[in-house]
Amino acid sequence: MKRYFRELSVLGALLAVLLGLALLAPAFFSPQPLLTLITREAPTLVVACGMACVIITRQIDISVGSIFSVCSVCAGLLAARGWPLALVLPASVGLGALFGAFNGFLVAVLRLPSIVVTLATMVTLRQGLNLVRQGEFVNLPDHVQWFGLSQTAGQLVLVSTALGLLVAQALAMRHIAAGRYIYAVGTDAETARLAGIRPQLVTLLVFVFIGALTGLGAMMNLAQSPQVQPLTGNGLELKVIAAVVVGGVAISGGRGNLWGAFAGLLLLACVSPALTHLHVEAYWEKAVHGAIILLAVIADGLRSRQSNR
Amino acid sequence: MSTTSQAPAISEAARGDWRALLTRHEMLLLYVLIAEWVFFYIAGTSTNRRGVVVGFGTWDRQFDILRHSCEIGLLALALTPVIITAGIDLSVGSLLGLCAILFGKLWHDGGLPIPVAMGLTLGIGALAGALNAILITALRLPPLIVTLGTYSLFRGLAEAITRGSITYTDFPENFLFIGQERWLGLPTQAWIFISVALAVGILLHRTTFGRAFRTIGLAPEGARYAGLPVERRLALVYVLAGLIAAIAAIIYTARLGQAKADAGTGYELFAITAVVLGGTSIFGGTGTIAGTLLGVAAIAVLKNGLACLPVVMRLNAAEEMSGLLTGALLLVALTASVLPKILSKLRPRRHTTIRTIPPLSP
Repeated sequence: MKRYFRELSVLGALLAVLLGLALLAPAFFSPQPLLTLITREAPTLVVACGMACVIITRQIDISVGSIFSVCSVCAGLLAARGWPLALVLPASVGLGALFGAFNGFLVAVLRLPSIVVTLATMVTLRQGLNLVRQGEFVNLPDHVQWFGLSQTAGQLVLVSTALGLLVAQALAMRHIAAGRYIYAVGTDAETARLAGIRPQLVTLLVFVFIGALTGLGAMMNLAQSPQVQPLTGNGLELKVIAAVVVGGVAISGGRGNLWGAFAGLLLLACVSPALTHLHVEAYWEKAVHGAIILLAVIADGLRSRQSNR
Repeated sequence: MSTTSQAPAISEAARGDWRALLTRHEMLLLYVLIAEWVFFYIAGTSTNRRGVVVGFGTWDRQFDILRHSCEIGLLALALTPVIITAGIDLSVGSLLGLCAILFGKLWHDGGLPIPVAMGLTLGIGALAGALNAILITALRLPPLIVTLGTYSLFRGLAEAITRGSITYTDFPENFLFIGQERWLGLPTQAWIFISVALAVGILLHRTTFGRAFRTIGLAPEGARYAGLPVERRLALVYVLAGLIAAIAAIIYTARLGQAKADAGTGYELFAITAVVLGGTSIFGGTGTIAGTLLGVAAIAVLKNGLACLPVVMRLNAAEEMSGLLTGALLLVALTASVLPKILSKLRPRRHTTIRTIPPLSP
């Protein structure tokens, strides 16, 4: 109980918000809008799972937003050319993994700081995409939206995919050696090396992993609308990092889990509909997000101060 | 963010080694800048039908480059000390937006005279920087996450105050003079930029404060044991960043003649790029204002020079191409900075035989 206090407190905050909404705006809980809300967050959740791994290994990846955009547009173009979804999906995942491998190579092999490396790839990819596409939308063929299923069925497929990945990865990080390596490298890379783990390889693979998940997230986003706009991933990186950090993953590495990140993501996702239902202007959303992030890190700071005494 | 830290680079100039001086980072960047400038001067200048020289090689264009690089340049100046202390401040771009909005509101809705509104805006900037500083120093929170939070908070407040739609315009002529006219031959805001650059440069290179920043960046614990007031020095760096962001906000407002909530969006990334390109180590401890200025200039010349190339003009893609090239330049600069270390590792090690038996002498 005490060990997971941080995660439980986020869960508590989430439940409090949901309870408040239940009392003040019961309309929030009507099934279809709620499902739509959760579906919209499904790609973010998938990327957040990857980001949790990256941050636990004491790195960061701010290029996910750009990778997300590039994968979306490329997958959209392939789909528009008549590729079947069974080929577009691996292409998108593979492309993401390739970008992730590039970041991972620079960070793990050349030992460059991840924040600058991913800043550079973020700018390069975003501007490269703008240059090639000039802001043009990609119109998707009909069979892509909701994978050719009905809307509700498609939404259920997306949500269950995201949740399935979350559960599988959370269990893997807790119970499988490879998952424990991530914590080991993030806690102390040198000790991990002495224990026979190869920190560089782990770091490289974590970046490949988040790239692949970003490609998958792009695909899940693609299925939700009839067209792709090239700016679709802008700001995703900060949203994902915020969710993960609010959820109790320590930026100093080695601490946190996916359940917390999931709760953090839901808490941030609830802000916008909560504001709407409480008749507060939607322009406050970003400010509230910022306040939540700051509150979360302040709570972390106060707690670590207490434990130091 | 990373577990490795770089050893302090001993100042080559101090050793009086001119060859090392010619190959140090700032000089390399200067060569790149000169090459860029010469290339654009040749490829980007042309004569129009009436025989007037247009494009990159005109004084007007050069002044334009200076005018347009002041805001990002100021943010880069603000970030240099921050990064030297091994910190980061992602919130400066958002703070620029918030300060611009508040300045417009104080003047327009508050009915305050422009100088008073300016003074208050600078105060607000410093206060916002102090918020970052308190969270980072008093609570010992990681700067990346604190400023990520304030990045959202400041931009969000700017959007909330203007409800996403209000734009403050119709500033008086004598205020717009700061952003749109020339004074003593240079664009007015360039003088402000130069004074801030001088001030930060002196602080960083000619005072014990600068030395403290470096020490904190290299070894915060060591600095504490050496008796440095680490918290107060760190706080100073972030308050200063807030103050400079407010100055940039006023200049931005004066240049465009309007204050909008999205002012300065994404500027923090260009500023960080300029600082890192200028040779400041993201791990802290090393970096110079001269390098930052060169980094800003390299980005600004690239962006404006591309806009003068006929090919790019036809594509109407100067913004995107300069962004792409800036990112690529940063990647190359980063890789080049670690390449010697990597190569020396790859080179097969010579077998060092331990001579226990002395060679037989004839």
